[in-house]
Amino acid sequence: MEGLLLLIAILLPAVGSLLVMFLPWVNENRNNRCIFVGAVMVLECIVVLLVALSGEQTLVLFEMTKDLPIALRSDGTSRVFSAVMALMWTISGFYSFGYMKHEQNEKSYYAFYLMTLASLIALTLSGTMVTMYLFFEMMTFISMPMVLHSRSKEAVAAGIKYLIYSVAGATMGLLGIFMLTPNISSTFFVAGGSLMTDQLTLPLAAMQAVILITLIGFGTKAGMFPMHGWLPTAHPVAPSPASAVLSGVITKAGVLCIFRMIFYVVGPDFIRGTWVQWTLLACATITVFMGSMLALREKQIKKRLAYSSVSQVSYVLCGVFILDTMALEGAFLQIVFHALTKDALFLCAGAIILKAGISRVDEMQNLGKRMPWTMWMFTICAISLVGIPPLGGFIAKWHIAEGALTSGTQVFSWLVPTVLLVSAMLTAGYLLPPSVSAFFGGMAQTESPAIREDAKDPGLLMLVPIGILTLAIIILGAFPSIMIENFDNVINTLLKGAL
Amino acid sequence: MTLVHNFPFFSILLCMAAGIFTSVFKARVSKILTLMVVGTVLVLSALTLRLTLQLEDAYPFIMGHFPAPWGNEIRIGRLEALMATGFSAVMFISLIAGFRHAESFVSEQKFNLYCIMVDLALAAVLVLIFTNDLFTVYVFIEIMTIASCALVVVRQNGHTLVAITRYMIMHLFGSGLLLMGIAMLYGITGHLLMVPLKEAVQQIVETGNHLGPLTVVIALITAGLAIKSAMFPFHGWAPDTYAFAPPVSAAILSGIISKAYIFVLIKFFYRVIGLEVIISQQITQFLFVCGVAGMIIGSIMAISQRDIRRMIAYSSVAQIGYIYMGLGIGTRAGVEAALFQMLVHAAVKSLLFLSTYELINVSGDRKRFHYLHGAGYRNVPAGIVFTLAAMSMVGIPFTGGFIVKLNLAISGIAIGGWVRVMVLLALALSTLLNSVYFLHTVVSIYRKPAEDHIYPETPKMPAYAGVTLFVSMLLVVYLGIGSEPILRVIETGLKTFS
Amino acid sequence: MILALAVALPIVAGALLPAFRFEKARRDLYMMTSAVLASTLTFYALIADQPAINIISLNHFLDITLKLDDLGKVFAGIIALLWPVSLLYATDYMKGHGKQTSFFSFFLMSYGVTLGIAMSGNLLTLYVFYEIMSLSTLPLVMHGGSAKSIKAGLKYLYYSLGGSAFAFIGLVYLVYYGGTTEFVPGGLFQGVSLTHSAQLRLGYVLCFLGFSVKAAVFPVHGWLPEAAVAPTPVTALLHAVAVVKSGVFAILRVTYFSFGVTMLRDSYAQYVPLALSAFTIVYGCTMALKEKHLKRRLAYSTISNLSYIIFGAMLLTPHGLAAGLMHLVFHALMKITLFLITGVLNERAHIYDVGEMRGIGRQLPLLAALFTLGSLAMTGLPPLIGFISKWYLAGAAAQVGGTLPILGIVALLISALLTGIYLMVPAVTMYTRPSKLAAWQPVETNFSVLLAGLSALILALSLYSAPLLNFLNNTARGAV
Repeated sequence: MEGLLLLIAILLPAVGSLLVMFLPWVNENRNNRCIFVGAVMVLECIVVLLVALSGEQTLVLFEMTKDLPIALRSDGTSRVFSAVMALMWTISGFYSFGYMKHEQNEKSYYAFYLMTLASLIALTLSGTMVTMYLFFEMMTFISMPMVLHSRSKEAVAAGIKYLIYSVAGATMGLLGIFMLTPNISSTFFVAGGSLMTDQLTLPLAAMQAVILITLIGFGTKAGMFPMHGWLPTAHPVAPSPASAVLSGVITKAGVLCIFRMIFYVVGPDFIRGTWVQWTLLACATITVFMGSMLALREKQIKKRLAYSSVSQVSYVLCGVFILDTMALEGAFLQIVFHALTKDALFLCAGAIILKAGISRVDEMQNLGKRMPWTMWMFTICAISLVGIPPLGGFIAKWHIAEGALTSGTQVFSWLVPTVLLVSAMLTAGYLLPPSVSAFFGGMAQTESPAIREDAKDPGLLMLVPIGILTLAIIILGAFPSIMIENFDNVINTLLKGAL
Repeated sequence: MTLVHNFPFFSILLCMAAGIFTSVFKARVSKILTLMVVGTVLVLSALTLRLTLQLEDAYPFIMGHFPAPWGNEIRIGRLEALMATGFSAVMFISLIAGFRHAESFVSEQKFNLYCIMVDLALAAVLVLIFTNDLFTVYVFIEIMTIASCALVVVRQNGHTLVAITRYMIMHLFGSGLLLMGIAMLYGITGHLLMVPLKEAVQQIVETGNHLGPLTVVIALITAGLAIKSAMFPFHGWAPDTYAFAPPVSAAILSGIISKAYIFVLIKFFYRVIGLEVIISQQITQFLFVCGVAGMIIGSIMAISQRDIRRMIAYSSVAQIGYIYMGLGIGTRAGVEAALFQMLVHAAVKSLLFLSTYELINVSGDRKRFHYLHGAGYRNVPAGIVFTLAAMSMVGIPFTGGFIVKLNLAISGIAIGGWVRVMVLLALALSTLLNSVYFLHTVVSIYRKPAEDHIYPETPKMPAYAGVTLFVSMLLVVYLGIGSEPILRVIETGLKTFS
Repeated sequence: MILALAVALPIVAGALLPAFRFEKARRDLYMMTSAVLASTLTFYALIADQPAINIISLNHFLDITLKLDDLGKVFAGIIALLWPVSLLYATDYMKGHGKQTSFFSFFLMSYGVTLGIAMSGNLLTLYVFYEIMSLSTLPLVMHGGSAKSIKAGLKYLYYSLGGSAFAFIGLVYLVYYGGTTEFVPGGLFQGVSLTHSAQLRLGYVLCFLGFSVKAAVFPVHGWLPEAAVAPTPVTALLHAVAVVKSGVFAILRVTYFSFGVTMLRDSYAQYVPLALSAFTIVYGCTMALKEKHLKRRLAYSTISNLSYIIFGAMLLTPHGLAAGLMHLVFHALMKITLFLITGVLNERAHIYDVGEMRGIGRQLPLLAALFTLGSLAMTGLPPLIGFISKWYLAGAAAQVGGTLPILGIVALLISALLTGIYLMVPAVTMYTRPSKLAAWQPVETNFSVLLAGLSALILALSLYSAPLLNFLNNTARGAV
């Protein structure tokens, strides 16, 4: 039956999650649990890859009412996003087997981890706006327990802030869905958009305002200004593997929703050249700058990385909002590379916090001597994030900048590259000094007193995932063409009207 | 001329004769006699009503053998018969339910005097309903004033003496105005009988002679009757008088006697002057404004009362306001609504006074609301009756009060303009205000009493009293459900009234 | 005949209850039988169309008639479903409270009266039952007997009667201009040339304001939060379902079946109600957010949700009415579930404030889970029923277009957001913080079964509501 694969892709982690909660064989014994979860995730990757390779399929899950179907469809965008997400999730999952030995409540952690994966995959596979909204909301609620995991006061406060921001963002998105539904010709997403611009039920300015609000609402998940306030408190307070996926993967869900709204519902031509595009570019640019500035001032490792995510994800959004081919390629590349890089950085941070007992960047002097592998991989990822060739981050940022320069976006055509450049310098400023001090010890030439006595590299279960990620950054950075080709296929269907 | 034709005349005679005879009887006999007389009057009036329903038109009745203008003539039509039946029914019920209380106010020796006054009052009411000349009107108004005074002051304490003094001053002033008006009218027309008066007045209006004096006459007579029926702002005597009188007297005064004055006023408007003249002189506007003001202000004053009897007395002022508002609308429909309210209010108000007295009785004779908590449980029938009467005051459907509101509203809306708006708003506001003080009281009588209140044991209400109250409650409900025939009678009766 | 029986049975059964002097078990049986019988009769009438029945005529143009058309079926169906449920709940809840006989007597009588409202064939009948409902529910509100209860009851009474007094004005207008108070789809004034439309609109607005007292529209909503002091079965059923929905139902009847849509459309008679209801939507939620007492918070939430229905109806299109009706049904289910859960929390765990709900997820898992479900539904998470009605409301408003409807959509969304905050945040805290709950009494199985059943119904409707929605759509089309 058509679409069976899609259904399996969602149900597999969901059922796995339930089994983790309730099946005694799994939840009593830690080893069993890790093996089980690992198996589920690997299987999931396989299924997702199968979905990616098997072309477009559609599946209507059920009809809420006659004209509100909840339906899945695997088109080009969903394949890219779902593949990235599933892979990241698996790698972080394996890392967490090693990490979570030291935390409590593992059972519920893994259950929610798997369930969030299920809702994320469902989100990427959504075929209509309402389906997307459904899984967007669901994902908020299901990912919240991961934020709340430690049940400390900060965790609960952060979780509630996350909830409120997310619900607010979803509500803003819902406004758009309400107003757009009578104006589009197809309930399902259509590449290039299906807005019936000649018979709008609202005056033009109002429709534009609505779209702006919608996109800002969905941008909450991606941490875009002005809805970024939850991110720096929520990401750090979760356990490190959870922070990794929150920063690296779930933010991309917000990007996906924005992407869908612009390219599959409204159509890029509707907002190209309008004040809506300027406003969005302004927000994204501000976020890029602001995120980096705030990261610079922040001394706590995980918080610094969280602010960095705020900034980096908005690179993607800059690329998206510029609405031309090069920039979009850059956006897709940045999605991939940022996911890889940020994931790896958070995992390193986790290892550092766990093994060396420190949590601030100024306590990292000479850490490199104790934890060489970790710090090497940290440095490589940092370099990629800054955007130094030949690592992957550079290619992504280059594409975005070039796209901006050649696009007709007036002010932003030079502002965006400028901000990217400044941000790159700031990124260097907040990532490289810790690396340098870890290896060359700064002034003191002695170890930071905060480092634990028995600090050393973590076990293989934690190192190998980080290693895989780092390797991917290097290789994909050297040979990006396959990815770019794939992306182009998708992008061309989206921009076909425009160029 | 059948026997039935004579019944109104018989009723009047009977009452007056009973009054004379009662002067020689002792308390017990006089009580029974009075009850029998009132009961008989009720039956006679009912039969008269049946007769008038069969007749086309009202018929005049010559008392004695001399025709008018040398003899005295009364006129009996449907409307008059209906009023007579209604009022005598209310009086009958009030007497049965409340007579036994009068014994606590009046000494054995003086009781027959009380009964005489009751008879006189009824006689006067009947005369005023049926009469056809102004002289009789004046005479019997005076008789009624004095009888009512006696009914109140039979209970001798400081409150009643003060109240009755105020009452007498205002009523005699009203009577004085009335007399001046009648005298002037005689001066410009030369008649005292109503039928020739009508022609004379028409002539005055046509020719324009004496138009000024005519206006003054109308003003004087209206003012006089308005004072006597407690129309706002002339109501000052009413609250204390109704509050402190014995319950039966209060029921008779506020329920029946005040209505008789208004009936006379209506008769004056229709049969002597003619409605068009009244409207053109803008008397109706004046009555309308006073009526609306009375409705609202009466209720507002009622809310602030601490004593339940004064609260009910002020509510009477408000209800009289309804009647004047109906009159003031100036259309036939308005007057019909006002007449219906007269009947409903007569029934309900007497019920209220009587049931209130029973409730006070079982609360240690205390009148403040505080002490009335739980009275509804101590005397269950009185509580139920009070609740229903309160509901009629508010205008809950299935009670007479609702039909009153409905008819007033429809007649108000028909006329349009600012009168319509005022009528509707006044009715709405009045409903709300009424519910504030009446339903609050209903809630109070069903509340749990405070622990430190000790209520002395009182003898239970005798069965006949309970039954009577119950039957009268059914009357109120009947007025709510089966009002259609009564309204028909009023409508056709009003057509033949002038 | 069936209609008259359905209405009369609970009234008579309730009135006779004090005379019987049952002990508890017998009394419960008696009451449940009466209620279930009346519900069965009603459901039968829903399926097999019944002829109208004239009970009594007050005069030649005013009579008391019972008739069950589609719109009435919607309301009657809800009432007939939820009353026996609440009665069952109340029998366990009121254990240990005083004056149970009079409580249940009025509780049963109010059932019949509410059915009377649903089955009214003309405005006079509806008005009569409406007034009687104010009186029959009054003792229920004041049941506690404390000074606060009495004050709340009196406030309820004055508001209700004041509202009825203004609704009465509308009745009079109809009688005068229309000659009758019959309910006619499309209104009494269809096709008649309207020289008096200005007057009629004024009459309508006054009538709307009158009925909106029970429907708790700003600014005449003040009685509802105070009425939360009543015992929970009263608050749940009456103030979330019966009384307040009667106010809304009356507004629907007067708008669509008496004055008619054509006359009201695009005039201030439409704009004023739209504006008031849109404002109330946001106002109710904002006040709910500030309120820490759980029942009062839910009461304010009700105020907001009632205006959803009114807003939908005042769009004056079939879609708007259909959406409003959907919310009428769905909200009744969701809100009653939430209130009943709150009642159990009040009585068995002595939890009254939102803050006291922390951490009880572990100790009272079923209640917490059902509360979370109800909160998710109220917030409007798809595919739960709360989302469906909000979706259709927004769709209907978007279709009409214009400033006020769009403002209404914004109000809806703001309300959804605020609902998420004031319901979901407590729901989440149930699972997080350490619990302050020291001890609690066991929760009777009856409660759990009832609440689970209601929640199951919510879930079932979330997944499969097509027949219901079809019926509501047809009803709405027939009304315009």
